[in-house]
Amino acid sequence: MSEILKIAGLCKTYGRREAVTKALDGVDLSLEAGEFVGVMGPSGSGKTTLLNCVATIDRPTAGSITIDGKELTGLRGKELARFRRERLGFIFQDCNLLDTLTAFENIALALSIIRAPAGEIGRRVRETAELLGISDCLDKYPYQMSGGQQQRCAAARAIVTRPALVLADEPTGALDSRSARMLLERLEALNRDMGATILMVTHDAFTASCCRRVVFLRDGRLFLELRREGQDRRAFFQKIIRVVSELGGELDDVL
Amino acid sequence: MSFKLALRNVRRSFRDYGVYLLTLTFGVCLFYTFNSLDGQGAMVYLNQTQSTLTGAIMALINVFSVVVAVVLGCLILYANRFLLRRRKRELGTYLLLGLDQGQVARILFLETGAIGLLSLAAGLGLGVLASFGMSELTLSMFSLRLDEFALTFSVRAAIQTSVYFGVIFLIVMLFSGLQVSRARLIDLIQGERKNEVLHNRPLGWAVAQFVLGVLCLLAAYGILLWFGMAVAVAVLPICVPMLSLGTLGTLLIFKSLSGFVLRLVQSRPGLYFKNLNVFTLRQWISRVHTTYLAQTVICILLLLAIGITACSVGMNSVLEEATNTAAPFDVTVQNRAADERGPLDFGALLWEKGFDPDARLAWSRDVLIYYSDEAITGIRQGEVSGVFALSDYNALLERQGLPPYTGPLPYIAGNRGEKLVTGGLGLYYGVVSDEQAAQLQVRRQIWCADFAGDGEESDAILWSIIEDQDSEWGYSLTYASRLVIYQEIMGNKLLVLYLGLYLGFTFLLAAAAVLALQQLSQAADNAGRYAVLRRLGAEEGMVARSATQQVALAFLLPLALALVHSAVGMKAANDIIAMAGRVDTVHSSAVTALVLLAVYGGYFLATSLACRRLARGQ
Repeated sequence: MSEILKIAGLCKTYGRREAVTKALDGVDLSLEAGEFVGVMGPSGSGKTTLLNCVATIDRPTAGSITIDGKELTGLRGKELARFRRERLGFIFQDCNLLDTLTAFENIALALSIIRAPAGEIGRRVRETAELLGISDCLDKYPYQMSGGQQQRCAAARAIVTRPALVLADEPTGALDSRSARMLLERLEALNRDMGATILMVTHDAFTASCCRRVVFLRDGRLFLELRREGQDRRAFFQKIIRVVSELGGELDDVL
Repeated sequence: MSFKLALRNVRRSFRDYGVYLLTLTFGVCLFYTFNSLDGQGAMVYLNQTQSTLTGAIMALINVFSVVVAVVLGCLILYANRFLLRRRKRELGTYLLLGLDQGQVARILFLETGAIGLLSLAAGLGLGVLASFGMSELTLSMFSLRLDEFALTFSVRAAIQTSVYFGVIFLIVMLFSGLQVSRARLIDLIQGERKNEVLHNRPLGWAVAQFVLGVLCLLAAYGILLWFGMAVAVAVLPICVPMLSLGTLGTLLIFKSLSGFVLRLVQSRPGLYFKNLNVFTLRQWISRVHTTYLAQTVICILLLLAIGITACSVGMNSVLEEATNTAAPFDVTVQNRAADERGPLDFGALLWEKGFDPDARLAWSRDVLIYYSDEAITGIRQGEVSGVFALSDYNALLERQGLPPYTGPLPYIAGNRGEKLVTGGLGLYYGVVSDEQAAQLQVRRQIWCADFAGDGEESDAILWSIIEDQDSEWGYSLTYASRLVIYQEIMGNKLLVLYLGLYLGFTFLLAAAAVLALQQLSQAADNAGRYAVLRRLGAEEGMVARSATQQVALAFLLPLALALVHSAVGMKAANDIIAMAGRVDTVHSSAVTALVLLAVYGGYFLATSLACRRLARGQ
């Protein structure tokens, strides 16, 4: 299997000489194509910084990030924007749908931005919507859809461009448990059936339990990695919970 | 403390206040410029002569200033209300922090005062420059030179402007104070804009509305062109339906256009999915329900601005021609009592009064007009009211550089005498042979002359001589000189031009400012949406282009429809103006376009730049 994401010795420091905060302190992580990896950790552990660096929204202080064979730190300005829109897909906690556009148009917009051929757009949007189970609400505006439908619509927007890597930041954060489960099922299906590579940041053990692999961050370093390896979801969930409780109170406050 | 807070607020929200300040400054500038007309080039020149027109112009300007003040007042109130809405949260925070409503009202009061003073100062400064520019413009239009003229400051106009705007600002201050003291905290805190509820109306509905709108407009145009401008505007039973049909049509088109266009674009994926077209289109549609009324009003304001400016400039070029045709000789004196008192001996009279005709006149001719007698002339009774002898007639023509009349006699010229002598004859006249004329009874005496050299002094002397003689003779002499006619026509030109520009600019300013404010508020609301686009990987250029396109749609749509309206309106108006002379439409259209471009384009540019900046985020 080919390596989609390779992070080596990633460091990110904030502040000046006198008061330096190390958000990331030498992170190494590698994702194969078709992997579904969760990143967990207490607040302040550097999860979001890691995701932002990979998402090219933030610039690392040291270390390298390679996505699909392309070294990110060398990219600048327009190249960066182009890489971001063509190779990456984003799902945010607040789903960030445009409220003036219908679901269909929201998804199609992502294709317009990468200048996909106009003739294909309709078909690709409908196929993706089918995958995420939102075919019925393509003509609705975001305020006419439930939170779960909105988030799945955002997921459809993230993957419709067939990115090399989908980045999800707390995608279930704003959802009730039923909608969250439905979204996760769909993400799993995407990963399983479409071979989408997903890197998801979450603080929720249940959300993390649908990943194939979960890495734990603490104080800017990776300190543990759990693999699902054929276990069923419940067992994997128990394993994650155990790690979380071993971490003591550190995760309790966010659970 | 309120004072410091208010000043800080003004400084900090300078960008928010930008368009507001610009509009206020322009308004003050406009007001000052037109109220200081009496100190400007052409008006100074007119004032030096006997003409009473300057007084009339200033009186009319004063009347219209009230209208302009009301329009500007409404505009400023609107802009202020808009700013207050944007600052709901901030005001709510003040209340939440424990300031009482009186204190918050005082802060707003002081802010408005500071803004008012600032714009008054800037506007007056700009006004001095603008009035200088207009002075130069009118001077060059009439090819006049005034040596002693320089940059002037009219204290009277400045005081007048300050008083008018002081009242407006006072009303605005009271209004904003009132609004704050009546607002409920919960509304202020939750002041975030709620989204419009969008409905997907069936396509048939939009098409029906659009077609109905076009039909209404066509009906209105039809009425206007069929009856002509004079009837259509003056006769109420025709005017009211025409205006209502026109307004309704405009309204329906703006209301339906977006839905109509959306469906049209959706059927062409190549266009629909290109760049951010989906987003731009949806942005436009999402606002239609709140903006179509405003767009209709703006369209009508623009129509007024274009129509008034174009007509006043067009009228101007007609009048220019009138000067030359109305005054073929430097001076014409008509003795209307020649039939009772006999002809006046002009040569003797002038010598007697110390006016040397040989030195002061380059040419003069004494001409008699006779009563026509059918038995002698063969012209039917009542067909003409006076006849010339052929030699006199040809002498007048020759001096004007026209070919002499050589056709058969008697010749019935009709009322072409309007152009035969300066000031016009007011007669239907004919021409008979000199022999016949000698047998006829004298009706009127006409004395025409051209001055030698610069006639200004001679004109004044001659005028006083004739006036003295006139009172002696029981007021039967009329004096018409090229100079007097020229000044009279110039006064009329100035009046039409000034009023037209004044009103035209006011309406244009109002329309552009309302649009700019609307667009800016929308762009601020859109900041979040632009952030999403950027996260999706849209390039800065793409986002900025979409922002510009939205502003362009808002500015150009009303303009486009207003242009169509005014093209039809000008066609109808030209028919009237054309009665007075040939209309130089090309020239007037060019000037109109320039004026429009300068103000409207300026606002468009400022707005789209500001919107691009807002779209760019920080």
